[in-house]
Amino acid sequence: MIKLNETPVRTARNFNINNIKIEDISLKNMLKDFENIEVMLPEEVEVENAISNFELKYGMNEEKINEVKENANHTLKLKIAGKVKEQVEIVANFDDENVNLIQNIEIIAQENSKANIVLKYKSEDDTVNYKNSIIRIKAEKNANINIVVVNLLNTSSTNLLSIENEIDEGAVLNYIGVDFGGKNSITNYYSKLNGNEAKNNIDVIYLGKDEQLFDLNYIGELRGEKTQIEIEAQGALKDRSKKHFKGTIDFKKGCKKAKGNENEFCMLLSDNAKSIALPMLLCSEEDVEGNHSSATGKVGNKELFYIMSRGFEYKEAMKLLVRARFNKILEKIKDEELKNEILEEINERLN
Amino acid sequence: MKKKKLEEINRNIYDIKNKDEYEFKIQKGLTREIIEEISKQKNEPEWMRDFRLKALDVYNSLDLPTWGPDLSELDMNEIATYVRPKSKLNSSWEDVPEDIKNTFDKLGIPEAEKTSLAGVGAQYDSEVVYHSMKEELIKQGVIYTDMETAVREYPDLVRIHFMKCVPVNDHKFVALHGAVWSGGSFVYVPKGVKVDIPLQSYFRLNSPESGQFEHTLIIVDEGASLHFIEGCSAPKYNKVNLHAGCVELFVKDNAYLRYSTIENWSKNMLNLNTKKALVGKNAKVDWVSGSFGSKISMLYPMSILNGEGAKTEFTGISLAGTGQNLDNGFKVVHNAKNTSSVVNSKSISKNGGKCTYRSLVRINENAKNSKSSVSCESLMLDDISISDTIPVNDIRTDDVEFSHEAKIGKISDKAIFYLMSRGLTEEDAKAMIVRGFAYPISKELPVEYAVEMNNLINLELEGAIG
Repeated sequence: MIKLNETPVRTARNFNINNIKIEDISLKNMLKDFENIEVMLPEEVEVENAISNFELKYGMNEEKINEVKENANHTLKLKIAGKVKEQVEIVANFDDENVNLIQNIEIIAQENSKANIVLKYKSEDDTVNYKNSIIRIKAEKNANINIVVVNLLNTSSTNLLSIENEIDEGAVLNYIGVDFGGKNSITNYYSKLNGNEAKNNIDVIYLGKDEQLFDLNYIGELRGEKTQIEIEAQGALKDRSKKHFKGTIDFKKGCKKAKGNENEFCMLLSDNAKSIALPMLLCSEEDVEGNHSSATGKVGNKELFYIMSRGFEYKEAMKLLVRARFNKILEKIKDEELKNEILEEINERLN
Repeated sequence: MKKKKLEEINRNIYDIKNKDEYEFKIQKGLTREIIEEISKQKNEPEWMRDFRLKALDVYNSLDLPTWGPDLSELDMNEIATYVRPKSKLNSSWEDVPEDIKNTFDKLGIPEAEKTSLAGVGAQYDSEVVYHSMKEELIKQGVIYTDMETAVREYPDLVRIHFMKCVPVNDHKFVALHGAVWSGGSFVYVPKGVKVDIPLQSYFRLNSPESGQFEHTLIIVDEGASLHFIEGCSAPKYNKVNLHAGCVELFVKDNAYLRYSTIENWSKNMLNLNTKKALVGKNAKVDWVSGSFGSKISMLYPMSILNGEGAKTEFTGISLAGTGQNLDNGFKVVHNAKNTSSVVNSKSISKNGGKCTYRSLVRINENAKNSKSSVSCESLMLDDISISDTIPVNDIRTDDVEFSHEAKIGKISDKAIFYLMSRGLTEEDAKAMIVRGFAYPISKELPVEYAVEMNNLINLELEGAIG
C-alpha cells in the first residue's frame, strides 16, 4: 500500500481523511512510449525544451513526484504570449498499446496573455491504465488562463493528477476539473495566489460508479492583497463508489481584503455510496472573508416526482437531476464538442 | 492609557492562589508504584487498582496525537497526579477549611447553591471537599455524590458504566485518566424523575505542577431529565498544570440531559479532557460549552446517537488570547434511524491567540432518515491571531439531510460605523458586537452563568480591542 495526497493540516487519524492508501503500482519495468497523444498548439504558443527543475509543495507524494521527474514518457513545456484565439488541446487516448502515461507539463502564461487549454484523458477499451501527471502553471501579471482537465478513463484504471499553480498580480486562472474515470482517481491541486488581486476559480464535477474511489484535495493559499478564490464542487455517487473531498482555503498573513468561498454538494444515488468531506478554512489574517458550505443528500423526492409526473422513467429523471447539478459548471466549457462528449459520458456512466 | 493598564490586568478572583498546603501529595511522575500508591491512599477495591494498572499499560503503549497543538512541553515526570487537600468530604460549608471555603465563596459557589442550584459538588485539587443536594431529590431517589463514594456505595452501578462509554484505549490521555483518576461526580436520576433545577460541580486546581483527573459519570434513566453544570478554574503558575478529566454520560431512552460547561482554567493549563454521551431511543443530550482558559485545550465532546430518534445539540464558544491554543469542537455519530444533530459553534481569536474548530459528523449506514446541520463562525479581532476550521463530514447512507456552513472574518466596519453614529465609542461598539456574536451561546446558559460568561468576555476583550 502507498500513502498519497496528504492534507495540508492533519486531523485525528480515526477520521480517515489525512491521506489515502491505495495499492502501489510500480511501473518502471513496464513503461513504454505513449504514442496515442495528440497535441494541438496554435501558432502563438511556443514549445520549449527544458522543463524547469522543480519542487512541488504538495503533490501526490515524494515517490510519485520522482516517478514523473525521472520517468515521464510525455513532457511538454509551453510558453504562451499574447491572446491565443484557438484552443490548446492535449488529448491522450489509452488502449492496449498505450497503457501507462507518466506526464510532465509546464505552462508559462506570460504577462497579459490569454488562452484556453484543454487536457483530456480517455480509455478506449477496458485495459487497466495508469496515469501519473504533473501540471504546473505560472500565470504572470494580468494573464487570463482557462484550463479544463477531463478524466474519462475506465473504472479499472488509476488516475493520479498533481497540479501546482502560481498566480501573479491581476492574473486569473479558471480551472474546470471533470473527474469521471479511474478505479482510484486522486487529485492534488495547489494554487498559490501571490500577486495582489490574483484570482482562481475552481469548478469540479465528479461522478462515481461501481467501486470507484475519488480522493480530491484542493488547496488555495491566498497571499496577495484582494486575492480571491472560489471552489465549487458538484458530485454524484452511485453503486459502492466513494469520495473524499478535501478543500482548503488558507488565508496567509498579509492577504488583506482577500475573499475565499467553497461550496461542495454531493448527491448520493445509492445506499452504499459514501461521501467524506473536509472543507477547511485556515486563517492568519484579520481583514478577510471566508465561507464554506458542504451538503450531502439523496435526490430530492419532490424533484423526482415532478419529473416522473412528466412521463420520464426513474432512471431518466435521476439523470436529468444530476445533469442539472453539473450544468452550472459544464456551461462554462466553451468547447461544444467536448461538452457534448462529457454529457454523453454522464448518460453512459449513469446507465 | 486604558488599553495599557488593562493588558496587565489579572484574572481577579480566578487567579487567587492559596498556599500549596495539602494532606498528601504524591511524588511527581508516572510509574506502577505511583499508581499503586494512589490506589492505596484512596483505599480502593482491588478491581479498581487492577483497572488503573491496565490503563497505565495502555498509556505507555499509545503515541501522542500526530495532529493538533504541540504537546511536547508536557513532561509527566514533572506532574504530581494526586494531591489530597487538607479536608475531608463535607456536607456543610462550615466544615470546609477556611482558605478553601474562601476560594469557593469568591467563585460564588455557596451563594449559587442557595439561589439557583439543586445540588453542588466542589473539588479542590484531587478530592471533592463538599457535596450536597436538596432533600426532596434524595427522596426521589436521585444520587449525586463524589465518585469515590459511588465506587464504595454503588459498586454494581459504577462497575457496569465506568469507562464503558469512553473506553480506556480511546486515546493516550484517556488511558492516563484511567490510571490516575481522582474525584469527580456521580449522578443517577431514576426513571421518570425530572430534576428541574440544575446540579453543579466545580473543579478547582490550586496546587502547582500537578494534575486534575476528575471522573464525571452521569446516568439519566428512562424518561428522566437533568441539567448538569460543570465549572473549572485554577490560578496561574509558571510551569504547566494538566487537566485530563473524563465525562461519561448515559442518557437512556426518552431521557433528557443538558450538560453545560464554563471552562476558565489558568493560562498555564493543558486541558486534555474527554467527554462522551451515549444517547438512547428518543433521548436527547444538549451540550453548552464556553471555553475561555487554558494554554492548550483539546476538547471535542461527543454524542453517539444509538437509539432510534435520538437527538443532540452542541452550542459552544471559544475565546483565545495571547499564548492560547484552543483546539475545540464536537463529534457526533448517528448510529440509528431518524436521529438528528445540530451544531452551532463560535470562536473569537485575539492578541495572537489561536482557535481551531475541529469536528466529526459521521452518519452510519443504519442511520436512515437522519438529519444534521452544522454552523461555525470565527471572528478575528486582529492580524496576529489565527483561526482554523477543520471539520470532517463522513456520510455513509443516501437517506440523509446534511449541511455544513462556516464563516470567518473580522468585525464589520459598517456595523462599527452604525453604532458609533449612535454615540458609542469604537471600543464599546466592538465589545457590543462581540457580545452579540456570543449571545446565541450565552442565552443557552442559566442567567448567573450567562452573566459570568459576559464578564469573562469583557475581561478578555478589554485591552484587546480598540
